[in-house]
Amino acid sequence: MDVGVRSKGARIRSAAFGYANVIPFLCFALFPFYYMVITSLKNDAELYDLKAVPFLIQTGVITDHYRYLLAKTEFLTWMKNSLIISVIATSVSLVISILAGYSLARLRFRGVNSFGTAVFITYLVPPTLLFLPLSQVVVWLGISDTIWALVVTYPTFLVPFSTWLLMGYFRTIPKEVEECALVDGASRMQTLIRVVLPMAVPGIVCAALFGFTLTWNEFTYALTFISQSANKTAVVGVTADLIRGDIYYWGSLMAGAVLASVPIVAVYVFFLDYYVSGLTAGAVKG
Amino acid sequence: MAVGSRVLEAAGLARPGRLARLREWWEQEHVFGYGLILPALLLIVCLVAYPFGMSVYFSLSDYWVGSPGRFVGLGNFRNIIGNEIFQRTVYNSFVFTSIAVAFKTVLGIWLAMLLFRNFRFKRLIRGAVLLPWVIPTALSTLAWWWMFDSLYSVVNWTAIHLGIMSPPGPNWLGMTNYAMTAVIAVNVWRGLPFFAIIVLAGLVSIPREYYEAAQVDGAGSWGRFRHVTLPLLRPVLAVVILFSTIFTFADFNIVRVLTRGGPVNTTHLFATLAYQVGLDGGNLGQGAAISLFLFPMLAAIVFVQLRYIRRE
Amino acid sequence: MRATSRREFMRAASGATVGMASWLALGKAPAFAQKRELTFLSWNHFVPASDDELRKQAEAFGKLANCEVRVDTIAHLQLPAKRAAEAQSQSGHDLMLTGSADPFLFEHNLADVGDLIGELGKQYGGWYPFAKESCETASGWKAIPWFWISFPATYNETHFMKAGLQTPKTWAELLHHGKILKKQGNPVGIAISHCADANSTFWSILWCYGGKVLEADGKTPAITSDRTAQVIEWYKELYRDAMEPEVLSWDDASNNRCILAGKCSWIHNPISPYNLALAKKMPIVDEINHHNSPGGPAGIHSAPPINSVAIWKFSKNVQLAKDFLKFLFQKENYDAWIVASNAFNHPPLKNLADHPIWARNPKFAMLPKEAEYAHERGWPAKPSAAIQLVQVNYVLPDMVAKAVNGMPTKRAMAWAEDQIKLAVQGKLREAGA
Repeated sequence: MDVGVRSKGARIRSAAFGYANVIPFLCFALFPFYYMVITSLKNDAELYDLKAVPFLIQTGVITDHYRYLLAKTEFLTWMKNSLIISVIATSVSLVISILAGYSLARLRFRGVNSFGTAVFITYLVPPTLLFLPLSQVVVWLGISDTIWALVVTYPTFLVPFSTWLLMGYFRTIPKEVEECALVDGASRMQTLIRVVLPMAVPGIVCAALFGFTLTWNEFTYALTFISQSANKTAVVGVTADLIRGDIYYWGSLMAGAVLASVPIVAVYVFFLDYYVSGLTAGAVKG
Repeated sequence: MAVGSRVLEAAGLARPGRLARLREWWEQEHVFGYGLILPALLLIVCLVAYPFGMSVYFSLSDYWVGSPGRFVGLGNFRNIIGNEIFQRTVYNSFVFTSIAVAFKTVLGIWLAMLLFRNFRFKRLIRGAVLLPWVIPTALSTLAWWWMFDSLYSVVNWTAIHLGIMSPPGPNWLGMTNYAMTAVIAVNVWRGLPFFAIIVLAGLVSIPREYYEAAQVDGAGSWGRFRHVTLPLLRPVLAVVILFSTIFTFADFNIVRVLTRGGPVNTTHLFATLAYQVGLDGGNLGQGAAISLFLFPMLAAIVFVQLRYIRRE
Repeated sequence: MRATSRREFMRAASGATVGMASWLALGKAPAFAQKRELTFLSWNHFVPASDDELRKQAEAFGKLANCEVRVDTIAHLQLPAKRAAEAQSQSGHDLMLTGSADPFLFEHNLADVGDLIGELGKQYGGWYPFAKESCETASGWKAIPWFWISFPATYNETHFMKAGLQTPKTWAELLHHGKILKKQGNPVGIAISHCADANSTFWSILWCYGGKVLEADGKTPAITSDRTAQVIEWYKELYRDAMEPEVLSWDDASNNRCILAGKCSWIHNPISPYNLALAKKMPIVDEINHHNSPGGPAGIHSAPPINSVAIWKFSKNVQLAKDFLKFLFQKENYDAWIVASNAFNHPPLKNLADHPIWARNPKFAMLPKEAEYAHERGWPAKPSAAIQLVQVNYVLPDMVAKAVNGMPTKRAMAWAEDQIKLAVQGKLREAGA
């Protein structure tokens, strides 16, 4: 945005202005996370001490809560389940959404518009009670109480969102590129896979990131379709095992929250640039 | 598809025209188009349409958990409209959604403009700002709950020690307006990154020449924002406000964890009341009616906004 | 046993088919596992050792009966969604933890356990009266009372000593003491909010003053009365002079924290804060003691959580499940389980309640007596869907909250009566179907 030549002083002033503004946002965004980390490293006596300074650790950092989480619960299994479920569900949804998104964005056939709207409408269906009838479907499919119950049901909320996002992205790709490929004798499927997809990578990464986050954080389906501890996801496992009636294992709960966020944070930081550019096209032309 | 054609190739050696005809058929635009949306269509019909249909049926029957219901027409809807708790919930939902979305819009644009600047540690800052969106909601709301605890509230502790509040400070989750403020604050905290990042993507896409032209015309930074940035962001904003409105209206976790609808139902939203009546209370019919109440309202909002987006 | 369970299954399956809606006809393949598996959905016990003991006994039973017993435990707030999903899909665990109105809500989905009730009752000197109130539906016994959780007064001895006060015998005395204790900086802590404890305590006080929510017929609202008005006035005064506004935001854990932090002088709660302080070796444990729930003009009554176990009709192992329950109720097993829970699990059977763990600890000695005061919510009416709605919508605490926030008592009562009427209406229509 800095256009033209500016004096050094002006540049420093502008930078200072930027930092001064971004810091409150950072505090707002990070403080709860900081507080989670602090809580997970504090001993219980200090946690429940009314006179203690709440956002410092004064009586020494302890790792007991993490040790409890890793040794006394099946946290690692839950993380593994979460990872498997998120990866498979996201991939499957991506394939479905890419096909549907391309079709809706690029091809002309009867009903294309109404179908596009239908995809969007499914996003509006209030999810509160949807899990009840869906639990029947899961039983009919014979997959209740397995991780497949989630792999199959998660696409229901991923596909509408990703399709919609990818539709916007595909529209930004110049039509001429495809036409050239078609003229050269490639089939439509080949054109989609070899020509269009490589150009849509940022959009796909973006949809994948969203999908991954949504599945990783999903709660209701994971709670109701899975009973065995060995098949639970991280979010459900942590809240199911560390809340005992009116007693909350605050330290371990927060430790679980911190550890469960780590994989996604890593993924995000890594793919952030794709993410931003992916959204650019998708959102703008949507 | 690939396997299918190979099989056909093997079988159809004698009649080469068959494969060609099939390919020709498949290459037609409308056939290919329908073919590609088929998986999505199947998914939606099997896994969304049926449960949705059932939910609608629930809402039209006096279905209790554990006992099949009888069709009662709009009886449930009549009942809930007459109920004071539901009326309060409708009011809460509008207050909650409009304030939260307004804050997210203003702060989101502001934050996006900041993130657009060139910073040292740009990646790190962008990553940090995204964090609230990334942490599992079910767990992050627990952390907020702990922060608002009546006894150990770190919010009050800080404010008291900075001299902003006099002890013991407000009881965040127990007083009507404070409780609403608290749930809105958490919702803004959680939703802001989504907003900011999408708007940021919009900013990235604005061609620099526009700004240069504006500067040549003598526009200041406010002028550039009003006459270049804002108009060009409008389509992105329309989209993100649309999604954010849906997310916010249907919010469940924050209220469920922080206040359970209290004090005296002044923070109940559609989703939390529906859950409370339908599952905790077992009245599935009414629960479904409450949650479906959302649908026509959202559909109306979406209809208007989609129109607007299409026209853009 | 195998033959019986097969027969049971056929009976259960046909019952379920008749009872449940038609989509069952779409059919799920009956999958007979090679080794029978018995599954039990329970909550996370407040005392982890209690669940450990339960799992140990489950394993022992598995060896005896040549089957695999799996106990799944989840947070108690998550149970309703799980129950609803299992009832809806007619599949899931064999046994599940129930409570409040569940045996009545799921009446048609639960196997009859009258035989087991008779057998166990004979064996152990009979059930406490609340057992019948909480598990016997119009169509028979639908759940076995498993354990109840005493809901006594928990107080800080030091605070009381400092103020020179004895423990209160009645709610009126508590109000009197509370005023003094608050001035001393140690308020009373009774939640008036959307949480389970707020409900439990309100029922106790209402009954002690002779009030009720519904008449015994379960249809006629009875909340509007001078007695309820008295209770509301009592709450108003307590809130103003003996408590702090924080009670309006409390959840079930807040009062525990308040007394463990050394701030609150008196709370109405299960013994979990004491047990937690004991387990975590907090110094405050020496200051905490219990006494019986206070009484009122109409005697002493309390509404402790009563937990039961029910067997789904769709279970393929109804008989096996009953054998498992019988096994859990064997004296040595039940005793071991009481010990593991550190006196938290109270037996609903009179002879089993004779356990030294209570007599031995002076801070627990009065707990078993609480069984005599106990009723299921709704009493004198039977638990029902209407009562359940009143409970989960927190109508009673909200009525009080409205009043302490300034709404005239009469109007608050009228509001509650409206809500109760609506809850009853929903149920009546269903009954007429």
